Order: sequence, then structure tokens, then C-alpha cells
Amino acid sequence: MTRLIRRRVPDHLSCRQVAKVLQTHLDGELDDETASAVAEHLEMCRRCGLEAATYIELKEALARRAAPVPTASLERLRSFVAELDAHGAE
Amino acid sequence: MVPPGDGAADEAFERLVVPELDVLMRVARSLSGNTADAEDLVQETLLRAYRSIERFDGRYPRAWLLTIMRNANINRARRRRPQLQRDPDTAPEEVADDGRSAEDDVVDPVLDAALDDALAALPLVYRRAVELVDMAGLSYREAAEALGVRQGTVMSRLHRGRQRLRERLAATGLEGDRT
Ligand SMILES: [Zn+2]
Repeated sequence: MTRLIRRRVPDHLSCRQVAKVLQTHLDGELDDETASAVAEHLEMCRRCGLEAATYIELKEALARRAAPVPTASLERLRSFVAELDAHGAE
Repeated sequence: MVPPGDGAADEAFERLVVPELDVLMRVARSLSGNTADAEDLVQETLLRAYRSIERFDGRYPRAWLLTIMRNANINRARRRRPQLQRDPDTAPEEVADDGRSAEDDVVDPVLDAALDDALAALPLVYRRAVELVDMAGLSYREAAEALGVRQGTVMSRLHRGRQRLRERLAATGLEGDRT
């Protein structure tokens, strides 16, 4: 009767509990213990796994949309810092 | 700490801030809406940071800089009111000077284009949370510093913002199991 084997409490999360912390989990902001319980659930539960895949896809699409900071801006700011260092803030 | 103008303090300042310039620009772009204003805002932030370096305890330079930027931005908004209080729905951002290359557009052009529209339609508070965390790469804590709100507020805005994006994008095939 393998289905009666109970997991240790933090390992066993319901889909509802996972849904509540899923985005926080994908952002890497959960504590280690909860994160591994969620990760384990995602491996075994197809529905939550798909939900996670959708948010991952969204996050990746957003990261791709983030325009790089123009190199010229960064160069100007670096010289601004160097100038502060050379002359002080006055 | 040593007062500004001192060689050792200057070196410390440079070491602290230079690695953060990219992320500061990304946050400033979200707060100010375009690259030119963002650069001004970062400069002002750097100037204020330089002046107050002796009050900085040396921990979490990014959070320290983000707090300074938030205050600098509030002052700027005050100086430039009312025309700066523009609504992102009616005043689209400048797209010319974003440094984006054609290569960045090949992954999934349909989804990416739809995402721009969906982002533009998002209420500003949600959109900022999404921009700061998913596009500028801030942690919840850092985004809370940048916005001057509690971390829980960042989380709920971010999660609701993503939820809305997701709903809007459902029609364009944003699904975990597209294949
Ligand atoms: Zn589940």
C-alpha cells in the first residue's frame, strides 16, 4: 500500500499551498526548506508543473524584453564617478 | 569613515558604486520612464551617495543606493510637476534609444511583441514591480527599497502584475505546454 506512505510534514504540500508560494519560489525568495518541498511537488504534480512552466516562460520573456543599458550611458556614468573622485562633490 | 575628497574614501566609493551602475540605470529607467532622464537620476543619486558616504555602514550598497535614488526621484518629480506626472497609458515610452538589437527579437517575436502591449496596459504600480524584479533583476527587498514600500507590497503587486500579464498573453500562446 505505497500510497499510504506519509511524507514528513514540510515535504508534503497541497496544490493550493504550492499555488500560494509558486511565484515567490520561482523568484528564489523562499526559505530553503519550503523551496525544496515546492520543488519536489512540482516534479510530481503535472498541473503545478505546467503552472510553474508558464510563469518561468513569462519571466524569461520579460528578461528578454529588458533593453540593455546603452554602453554610452554607462561610460558617461563611470567618468562621472571618476570625476567625483578627482574633484569631490564641491 | 573618512570624509569625501580623501583618496582612500574615493577608492571605496568607486568600488561600491561602479558594479551597481547597470542595475541603477535599469531601476532609474523604470522610475523615470526613459533613458535620458534615467541617466540624470543616476547622476544625482551618485552625487548624493558621494556626499553621504561617511554615513553609510558598508553593508548592502545596492539597497543604500536604491534608497538614495528613491528620495532623489521624489525631489525631481516635485521640481518638474505637473508635466512629469505622465500616465504610462497615454504617454508611451521612447523606444528609439533603448540599445535593443535585432537579435534580441528572434526568440519568440509574437510573444515578445504582445508582452510590450501587455506591459504598457498594466497599471503603473504593478508594472514597476514587474520591471524592477523581472527586468532590472532586483530582489524583493531591493525593490521595496527602490519604491519605498514594504516587501509584502512588492510581492502582491508583482504577483498580481504577472497574473494580469499572463491573462492578457493567454491568447498569444503563453502556456507551459505549448509544444
Ligand atoms: Zn500540484
